[in-house]
Parts: sequence; C-alpha cells; structure tokens
Amino acid sequence: MTPFSRRAVVAVAVACLTAGCGGDGGSAGDGPAVRESPGHRSPSAAGSPVSGPRPLARSVPVGLEIPAIGVDTPVVRLGLAPDRTVEVPPITADDPAGWYRYSPTPGRPGPSVILGHVTVGAHGDGVFRHLARLRRDDGITVRLENGAAAEFAVTSVRTVAKAGFPTEDVYGDTARPELRLITCGGPLEDGEYRDNVIVFAALRATAP
Amino acid sequence: MRRNVLSAAALACTAVLATAMPAFADDPSPVPDTTAAPADSGGQAAETDPSPVPAEPGAAEPTPAPAEEADGVTVVPRGAPDTGDAPVAAQSGGDGLLIGGGAAAVLAAGGAAVFVVRRRASGA
Repeated sequence: MTPFSRRAVVAVAVACLTAGCGGDGGSAGDGPAVRESPGHRSPSAAGSPVSGPRPLARSVPVGLEIPAIGVDTPVVRLGLAPDRTVEVPPITADDPAGWYRYSPTPGRPGPSVILGHVTVGAHGDGVFRHLARLRRDDGITVRLENGAAAEFAVTSVRTVAKAGFPTEDVYGDTARPELRLITCGGPLEDGEYRDNVIVFAALRATAP
Repeated sequence: MRRNVLSAAALACTAVLATAMPAFADDPSPVPDTTAAPADSGGQAAETDPSPVPAEPGAAEPTPAPAEEADGVTVVPRGAPDTGDAPVAAQSGGDGLLIGGGAAAVLAAGGAAVFVVRRRASGA
C-alpha cells in the first residue's frame, strides 16, 4: 500500500466514524422528542411535535376559567394525603379547583394537574360538575400569580374506571406544556363514583 | 522400665501437644483477624445496605421536591383521586324517610281516634 492510499484509507475511515457519530448524535438529539410522544401516551400527544407557544415563567395558578361549562373559580394548592394519594379541594358550597403542587405550573413543559369536585355532598354540584361536557378545542384559561395567563385547548376527554386510573397518561412527562383536569364521574357505587373524568389539554396561547 | 518411662513421657508430651493444638491454632490469628475485619465491615455494609432500601421510599415521602421549582411531575401520587362527595341522593332519601314516617304517624293517630270514637259509640 502506498503512503497516499494509506492516507486515503485512514481519511475514509475517519469520515465514516464521524458520520456515524453525527448520525447517532442526531438521533440522540431527536430521541427525547420522539420518545416523549409515546412516553406520555395521552391522546393529545399523538403525533404532536414540540411546537406552539413558548412556555411561561414558573408561577403558581390562582384562577381557572372554562367558558364552555361556566367555570370561573379560584385555584388552591394541593399536596399529598398521608396515604400518598393526591389531596382534593375542600368540600364547601363554592368549592374551588386545586392545583397539584408536585406537577408543573401551568404553561411550563409537562402535565400541570388541576382537580375539582363533581359534587360536594349537601352543597350540590361541584366546580367540575359538567367537565365531561367539554369537547375538543374548547378553551381553558389558567391565571397565574404573576399576572400571566395560559390558554389551553382541549385535546380529549376520557372517562376511566378508578380501578384502572391511567397514571402514566396523566402524570407522565410531556415535551410541551399540557394541562390535566380531573374530577369524578360515572355511576355511584356504595356512595362513591366509579370513574374519573380526565380532560387532556395542550397550551394554545399565552398572555401577556 | 526405661521403656515404660520413655513411652509414658512420650504419651504425656503427645497429650500436652494435643491439648495445646487449639492454642497454636489461635496463633495464626492475624490471618483470620484480617479476614474477620472485612467480614465485620461486610456485616456492617450488610446492615447499612438494607436500611437505605426501605428508607428510600420512606425518605422520599417527606421531602418531595416541589414542582414550583422544576418541570415535570416530581411526585406521582398513588391511585385515583376521590373528587366527588356524592350523598346528594342519600340526603334526599333521608328526607323521604322523614316524610314517610310523619305520614305513617298521622295515619296511626287517625286510626286510633276512629277506634276510640267507635268504641265509645258502641258502648253508649
């Protein structure tokens, strides 16, 4: 082998190696975005690349508006109950919605989770009484403590048995800012609702 | 005679040596000691090893990172949320029971009054 041909062989080998690394790097770079979609498995994520409005700065939610079902309510913070289930808002006449404080603030990447009651015993209907009536593209606006607002669009509404609660779909990571609204639904069994109604929504616009 | 004495002495020496063997066997203690030390440390590791395993879930409970400072869900809750206090129907059922009970009491009182009046009428 002549020195020239040796150099040529080495150059080709180096080129192949760098091309291979570049390919891997590209796929690795795309990897998270591609993996995110099947990762959260929510209907809203199917075939949806990371796009749309820019995420908002972190700020806790203080108000929630859902014009389609006449909801305009303050939002309280919820944590974990001693049994590690999520806390729920207080049962009062004008029950507020509650944001799960271990989920992202609305407008940040990931699934922000807000819960509300469907009924509040003797007080009658809860704040999320008509959540199941929401339809695709209905608007949901969350007001934040810093004065900003995140507007979400409904992507799907699911009624699921509590026994088969889709934890990964609800709490699993998402690449873009999303919202989950959760309440109870379905028939009553021994004084308890059998199902959960879950609204999946994606960020549509932000203000200011 | 000498043979007897010699053999007795040899026997005694053998016996002494035999009884002293465990003491000699203790001599190479540095070897077992060094092995014992790691064994002890291994024992300690074995003691500390299990504790973090159960401690991790327990430790994760009291100090979950608030998501106000991070993206994504930092603590996934267990099970499904109970977001419905339902007994609206049960309460109306209670009201129904009250109404029914009151009606029954009125009916019984009326019946008793009729019975008394008829008895008086028949007695007169």
